[in-house]
Amino acid sequence: MSGHSGPKKTRGTRAIQAAALLVTFGVLYGVTRVTPELESHLGTVAAVGFLLLAGTLMSELLETIGLPHLSGYLLAGIIGGPHILHLVDHHTVAELSPVNTLALSLIALAGGAELRLDTLRSVARGLAWATLIQSTFVLVCMAGVFMAIASFVPFTQGMTLKALIGVSLLWGVLAVSRSPSACMGILSQTRAKGPVATFSLAFIMLSDVVVIILLATMLMLARPLITGSGSISLEDFSVLGHEILASIAVGVTLGLGLAVYLRLVGRQLLLVLLAIGFGLSDTFAYIHVDSLLAFLAAGFVVTNLSGQGPKLLHSIEQTGSVVFVVFFATAGAHLDIPLLQKLWPVAVALCVSRAFFTVIAGRMSSRLAEDPAILKRWGWSSLVSQAGLALGLSVVIAKAFPAFGEGFRSLAIAAIALNEMFGPILFKFALDRAGETTHQEPEVRPSLPPSAAA
Amino acid sequence: MNAIAFLLGLLVLSYLGSILVGGRTIRGFGLASGAEYLVLGFVLGPQVLSVVGRSLVESFQPVVLVGVSWLGLVLGVSYLRVGERRVPVPHIALGIALSALVSACVSATVFFGASYFSPLPRIEVIAFAATAGIICSETTRHSVRWVVERYGAKGPLADLAADTARASALFAAVSLAVINAWLPGAALPTHSVIERVLVSLGLGVVLGFTAALLLGREFRRDESWGILLGTSLLGTGAAARLNLSPISTTFAMGLTLALVSRHRVDIKAMITPTEKPVLLPVVLLAGANVNVKLPMPLLVLVAGALAAKVLARVLCGSVLSVTSKPVSGVGLEFGGSMLSCGALGLAVALAFDVRHPGVVADTVLLLASVGVLLGEWLGPASLRRALARAGEIKPEVPPEGAQPSLPSEA
Repeated sequence: MSGHSGPKKTRGTRAIQAAALLVTFGVLYGVTRVTPELESHLGTVAAVGFLLLAGTLMSELLETIGLPHLSGYLLAGIIGGPHILHLVDHHTVAELSPVNTLALSLIALAGGAELRLDTLRSVARGLAWATLIQSTFVLVCMAGVFMAIASFVPFTQGMTLKALIGVSLLWGVLAVSRSPSACMGILSQTRAKGPVATFSLAFIMLSDVVVIILLATMLMLARPLITGSGSISLEDFSVLGHEILASIAVGVTLGLGLAVYLRLVGRQLLLVLLAIGFGLSDTFAYIHVDSLLAFLAAGFVVTNLSGQGPKLLHSIEQTGSVVFVVFFATAGAHLDIPLLQKLWPVAVALCVSRAFFTVIAGRMSSRLAEDPAILKRWGWSSLVSQAGLALGLSVVIAKAFPAFGEGFRSLAIAAIALNEMFGPILFKFALDRAGETTHQEPEVRPSLPPSAAA
Repeated sequence: MNAIAFLLGLLVLSYLGSILVGGRTIRGFGLASGAEYLVLGFVLGPQVLSVVGRSLVESFQPVVLVGVSWLGLVLGVSYLRVGERRVPVPHIALGIALSALVSACVSATVFFGASYFSPLPRIEVIAFAATAGIICSETTRHSVRWVVERYGAKGPLADLAADTARASALFAAVSLAVINAWLPGAALPTHSVIERVLVSLGLGVVLGFTAALLLGREFRRDESWGILLGTSLLGTGAAARLNLSPISTTFAMGLTLALVSRHRVDIKAMITPTEKPVLLPVVLLAGANVNVKLPMPLLVLVAGALAAKVLARVLCGSVLSVTSKPVSGVGLEFGGSMLSCGALGLAVALAFDVRHPGVVADTVLLLASVGVLLGEWLGPASLRRALARAGEIKPEVPPEGAQPSLPSEA
């Protein structure tokens, strides 16, 4: 996710990168063949190095065919992961979960810091319509599609119509979840500026809150339909309301604290971000605060209530240039390829129809909001990607309905895998076509003279 | 204490370390070797307050491994230069020879002592003796830097002290590669020890070349971090999985970068400031790992090893006072100044503890820790006296008025 698309690289550079990629794969391949049985922390260290290096190099090489860096990170993880070369095993992928926590907190913090009030005001009308239509139209349509193809879905066999409606609604919620990480990843790499970039960022960050509310609503509605007993309880809403308010309150406090630190000290931000990412995420989970929302609020406060937003964003970009590569490469390694092979026809049908209804909803909301033409054309492009948030929802649903939860989660993983692979490519393509990507050169300089480096 | 709280504690220490590096005004603050953090770790650890339990310390093994390996990389990258000055080859050779001599004396003492007075099996005796020798062969460059900066020293003796301290790292890195390749449990059992040593160092050289090539013609700081971190972690993890020496691998990688990369100065400027933030948590973890409840023969051996180290250093100083012009007349003090040890010795002991936990590892770590404290007590004071007698600092200069002669490091 490092923004190093930069100047054109020569064939020599690409050849060196390809050779280095081979060395990277070769070293770990050799080591894992010599010590295949290892199951300890030691494997994790090598895996992090491999994912970081291979992800960076793969992204550089895929850049030559116009693919986003994110696809390179994912591909490196898929190839090196447990299902293909087995350089990174399941145990190691599980051990890397702290990196995911850190990356998600940085993504939310950066996402909040990117949301400027004046920018939000300029797209407020479009955002309101898009939120309404993407959340309702896509949810209902995808629930319908799920019902229509239910006969091909193994875990729905033998379900009553009522239960099927309940499961379909849950699938609908899953379909309206987006990927803040993929959106931030592409925007960070391309340094895109313009209506599509602004709208996408604002919509996806805000949709996080909407999806959380929708999930609570659908769980409430689906439970009596699926279990055939019980009644609709509003208690979930009460809990959810408290959680959202607490998250915003904690986030605002954190944001104010960060703003003061940035203003008065402003140094060692890498360590501060690491402490926030590792320390606070777990604390938030413990006190039932939604960390994504809290960090989003914190970033928003830093940008809009202080002048420290650019400093925060710069620090996150520096930290993220390493953390995000490992995060996405780990996501690639996590992809369940055999499951995808098994469920691909249903997953493809669901993904294609989701993309189709997302485009239709995008066009409808743009027309109603009288968005600029470029937004009417490409505003939907960032909404196809799905990743961690959708996986999180599938886990929640699986836990709430153990009877069919595992099957539901497997299908969700397969569908999310497809959206995770193709969504970022689509978004980058749209940004390129909308003319919002720049080819700004990163900081490049000749080697320091000895005195400067001393 | 839970893992997250402990991790946050380590991050706070890193923060403190980065302030110590970054703030010119407080350079020279604290002890030269960071011994106070070692003592803090010991007090917090299972032996005293048990704030940090044994299992928690063990769960931080990957952090220790990455930390000590990163220190190896820093040592490799900064091996050939002291500030702006290139270390002369004769000084490198002298530093290596002194380290080898001290190592041989300590190893011999421990070997014979352990053979006669401890119930350890022979293979453990050899491992103990060799590792003790490696640990005692180091002279920390931080101690030299601390004295030089605090007292504004400048001259051939200050240069020689800085150069030999720096050069001692090569002996330790190579010896560690040999002992790890020799010990049972190393991967590639069908290959000879020499081949395994070559794998340890060769892995570092290959990754160093790879990193140098990737850094290419132009220097992009953001990309460089990814490449350097990626290659060093891959090298560390690969060496650790093969039960070889990660410190040796990353040292070889750093040295390769220092030799072949056109951005060696940039890389050094990037990496050197990270040393203190990494070092302090590692020293704290080392302190928390120290076990003093060892059988009496092993405690006696620790004392014997330290006595051998002191004698060997004094002997080296005496010989140098005759053979080396800058040391002339200050041999005893110069020998004493070389007693300072720190990061590398602790890193070697911790790496040994990660790979071969047990009573020998505990003894080795205790030796390294006591060596740090002893070196802290004797080393800087001896160096200051040597430099004062050599006329390279004025004895009456008050510490707070001192201006650093070297901008970033000695």
